[in-house]
Amino acid sequence: MDGPASLQGQRPLWHSGETLHDPVATKTLGFFLYMISDALIFAGLFAAYAVLDQSMNTAGGPTPAQILHPAAAFWQTLAVFGSVYAYSMATVALKYRNRGAMMLGMAVAFALGLVFIGLEIRDFLDLIAQGAAWTRSGFLAAFWILIAAHGAHMAVGLLWMAVMMMQVMVLGITGDVVTRLLNLRLFWQFQAAVWVCVYVFVYLRGVIV
Amino acid sequence: MSAHHDESPLQHAEVQQASGLGYSLGFILSTAFMLAALLLTQARALAPLPLLLSISAIALLALLSQSLLFFRMDFSAAHVWKTVSLILTVPLFILSIGLTVWMFHYLDGLMVMGPEMPGMGMQPTLLQ
Repeated sequence: MDGPASLQGQRPLWHSGETLHDPVATKTLGFFLYMISDALIFAGLFAAYAVLDQSMNTAGGPTPAQILHPAAAFWQTLAVFGSVYAYSMATVALKYRNRGAMMLGMAVAFALGLVFIGLEIRDFLDLIAQGAAWTRSGFLAAFWILIAAHGAHMAVGLLWMAVMMMQVMVLGITGDVVTRLLNLRLFWQFQAAVWVCVYVFVYLRGVIV
Repeated sequence: MSAHHDESPLQHAEVQQASGLGYSLGFILSTAFMLAALLLTQARALAPLPLLLSISAIALLALLSQSLLFFRMDFSAAHVWKTVSLILTVPLFILSIGLTVWMFHYLDGLMVMGPEMPGMGMQPTLLQ
């Protein structure tokens, strides 16, 4: 340390006056930290599933290999990845202030998200028809909760997307609307990352073990 | 984080990070990785453990490609805090899932009670 004279001209470590904050970056960082805490919820659910998908936890009911169909679930993979891709492309249109292309991207993302939810509901109804409801065994309880938790996130994301489409139409591309669109992009892309784990560690692993 | 009060929100780094090429690559790679994992599983080309390790590695690659191409994780001024917070969270994922599985793996071993252990089956559990 050369003494205070050497600090002249450098940025202070802190100061008590008013500082300018970047509201978009601050809000998206805050939302990202929230998403990470949400990811830890999924870590807990995956941990519970990894414990309960053993044969001793099926209580005489169906095993993972009997109820999981990875090839059929690949359509859900395509739907969720396609939806995330469409929404991401909508934000490329936002970058160029092309409102029509952005709304088109959001509409496609919304439709593919609905396809995903529809496929998941169909799977759930099939499971109930087979007597494989969540009350049947510890394994099925963990399976239902994990899959439904992701499905609930998708449903909330679709609701959010519908609200954002209305806000873009009514309010236009304002600073707040842009921030919300960016946060929704984080949220929606996060669903694709969770689905990678669900597809590999539930659907594929289920027919191997 | 830099101040952008006087700029259009569309000039913000997080809006400008949107890349059609990056997102297209992210979508193609994610789909290709999942398809590869599916085909590998259906072909049963490997024994169960190597197969599990292989599809786990493929999942890791898919997550990595999404982190880089969808989330645009890097160490630029606009993204460094998100990247660092994500990196610091990865050990928490591994610990929470790994330790839980490890605990119950050994618990399962201790709970195997055969007829050679009379009376053990009548021990009350903590929940009874």
